[in-house]
Amino acid sequence: MLTIKNLHAAVDGKEILKGLDLEVPEGEVHAVMGPNGSGKSTLAHVLAGRPGYSITAGTVLFKGRDLLALSPEERAREGVFLGFQYPVEIPGVNNVYLLKAAVNAARKHRGLPEVDAFEFLTLVREKMRLMRMDESMLSRGVNEGFSGGEKKRNEILQMLVLEPALALLDETDSGLDIDALKVVASGVNTLRAPNRSMVLVTHYQRLLEHIVPDRVHVLVKGRIVRSGDRTLALELERRGYDWLMGEAA
Amino acid sequence: MSAALLTRLQEEYGAVRAALPESVTAAGRRREALETLCAQGLPATREENWRYTNLRVLERARFAPVQDPAGTLPALPEPLEGFARYVFVDGQLRSSAAAPHGVTVRSLRSQGAAGAGWEFAAELPEARLALLNEAFATDAVSIEVPAESAACGIELVFVAAAAAQHGASYPRVRLALQSGARLSVVERHIGAADCASLVNSAVRVELAANAHLTHYRLQHCGARAAWFDTLAAQLGAEAHYELLAVGTGALTARSSVHARLAGAGAQFTLSAAALGEGPQSQDMYALSEHLAARTRTLETFRGIASGRSRVAFNGKIAVRESARGTDSRQSLRGLLDGPEAEIDLRPQLEIYTDEVRCSHGATAGKLDENMLFYLLSRGLAPEVAGHLLKWAFLEDVIARIGLADLRRQIELGLAGQLSEAATLKELL
Repeated sequence: MLTIKNLHAAVDGKEILKGLDLEVPEGEVHAVMGPNGSGKSTLAHVLAGRPGYSITAGTVLFKGRDLLALSPEERAREGVFLGFQYPVEIPGVNNVYLLKAAVNAARKHRGLPEVDAFEFLTLVREKMRLMRMDESMLSRGVNEGFSGGEKKRNEILQMLVLEPALALLDETDSGLDIDALKVVASGVNTLRAPNRSMVLVTHYQRLLEHIVPDRVHVLVKGRIVRSGDRTLALELERRGYDWLMGEAA
Repeated sequence: MSAALLTRLQEEYGAVRAALPESVTAAGRRREALETLCAQGLPATREENWRYTNLRVLERARFAPVQDPAGTLPALPEPLEGFARYVFVDGQLRSSAAAPHGVTVRSLRSQGAAGAGWEFAAELPEARLALLNEAFATDAVSIEVPAESAACGIELVFVAAAAAQHGASYPRVRLALQSGARLSVVERHIGAADCASLVNSAVRVELAANAHLTHYRLQHCGARAAWFDTLAAQLGAEAHYELLAVGTGALTARSSVHARLAGAGAQFTLSAAALGEGPQSQDMYALSEHLAARTRTLETFRGIASGRSRVAFNGKIAVRESARGTDSRQSLRGLLDGPEAEIDLRPQLEIYTDEVRCSHGATAGKLDENMLFYLLSRGLAPEVAGHLLKWAFLEDVIARIGLADLRRQIELGLAGQLSEAATLKELL
C-alpha cells in the first residue's frame, strides 16, 4: 500500500526527515511513535501533500504510484486521508457541505455519479451516531466552536464517510479524555479492513491500547530507528525514548 | 475635474431641461442643484474621500437622462414572497404592484409633486452626485409608511437598460417612516450584462421615533456599467435603520452613505459586502454621525478583491458633543485574492464628547493557507476550496440577511456551486 524509501524533507532549509524508510502493507495498522520534534507530523503532512515542505530525496509509492507527484487533492481522491492533529476551524463553510463535496470529489475522480442527497445524509447520520456526535454539528461551520474532542471526532467522522484506502492519523489521541479516546478508537477500529491501511502517529502508548497496531516504528531525528510488534510500544512506555536516541546518530 | 466637463454638464442640462418633469423636481430646484454642483465641482480622486473611486468614467459620460426607456430587459430575479415589486427602467417606473396596506407608494413622474424632504445638500458632505441626480432625475419614488404600521415589504428593482451614450439613469427614492412604523425594503440595481450604463442614484431615508427599517441594497449591475449612489438617512429617537448592502456588479461602483443619528437611542446597523473581480472597483464611503445621546452604530464590512480589482471601504464615525453614551463598533475586513488586487480599509473615529464606547478593527489579508490545505486534503479542487473560503469570509454579512429567500438568492448568485448546500440544509 505505502512504500517510503530514503525520504528526505526540509522546511525553510532545515532538514526534518533524513532518510526515512517505511513499508505499510495492505490491511495493516502501523504506529509511528517518537519524541517531540522527531518528524512525526512532518511525515504525515508530507504524505498528504502540504505545501511548504521540500522533498530533497527519496520516493513514496502509494498503491504502486508515485505519491509525491500528486497534488494534495489528487492524493485525497485517490484515497489518502489525513486526520489533523489540529483540525482547522472554517466558520461559514458548513460541515455537511464539506463532507458531501469531499465524497463527490472522490466519486467524480472514479467516474461515479454524485451521491444521492438523501442516502448521503442517512449514511452520515449513522456514522455520527457511532461517533456519538450531535446532529446539530452538521449544519455548523467546519469545526467552528468545537471542543478539542469534538474536532477529533469530526476528523474520524470524515474518515468514516470517505472510507480512504490509507488513513494517516496525526496525534488523533492528543487532547482527548478517556471516554472520547474510546469513541475515537472504536471509530477507527470499525474501519479496519483487508484493503485499507492506517498509520497512527502518536506520542503515547495509550491510543494503542484501544487500536492495536500490527507494527510499531520509532521515529527519531527524522529516521525510523527501530520497528517491532506492539510490545515495542509497551517498552517505550516503560523506558521512554532516551535509550534510542543514540541510534539515530 | 476640468472646467470643460462642467461646461459640458451645463450644456447638456440646457438641452434637456424643458423635457425634465416638474413633478419630480421643480425646475428652480434643479437649476439650484446644478449651480451648487458646479460651484463645488464634481468629485475628484485627489480628494481624500474619493481617491479610490474611478471617476474617469464621468469624463466620457453623457449626463442627460434616458428620456424614453426602451429596449429589452434582462431577466428579473425571482419575486420575493410578501414583497410588492416595483420595476424601474433607466430610472422610470415600468411596472408596479398593489402597495401594502396603509403604505403610500407614488411615482412622482405620474403622481403628483415632490414636496419637501428630498433635498440632500444641506447636511451631507458627499452629496455632490446626489445634486447631479436632483438636476437630471426623470422619475422618483416616494414611499410613506404611516405611524405604527405593521411590518410589510416593498421591492424596488432598478434596471439599467440603456448604454451610456444614450443617456444616464437617475434612480431616486424617498423612504419615510412615521413613528413606530416598520418596513422592509429590497432595493436592487441590475443591468444588461454587456451594457455600459451610467447609473447615479439618490436615496433619502427618514425614520421617525421608534420606526424600524430593514433595507437590503443589492448592486449587481452589468460588468461594464458605472454605478454611483448617494444615500442619506435621518434617524429619530429609538429608531433603527438596518442597512445591508451587497455589491458585486458594475465596472465602477461608488456608494456614499450618511446616517444622522439625531434622536436619542437611535441605532444604525450597516452590514456591507463587496466583491471585486477583474478590473472592477468597488468603493463605499459611510459616515455615521452621532448627534444624540445613547446612539449606536454597528458597522461590518467584508470585501474581497480578486484579479486586479480594487475594493475600498471608508467608514467614519463622528460623535458630536451632544451624543453622550454613544456606542459604536466597526469591524472591517478585506481579503486579497491575487498579487494585483487591492483592498483599502479606513476606519475613522472623530469624537467630541466623553462617555462613549467606540471600537474599531480593520484587517486585510490573503486566504488562510491552513484552511485552504484542509479543504484540499479532503479532495476539493483548489478553485472550489478558494470559492468556499471566500464565501465563508462573507458570512458575517450574509448571515445577517434575515429574509431566507433573499439570502438564498444572494448565496446562489455569489457561489453557484453551493446550491447543493442549500438543498442539504433543507433535509436536515
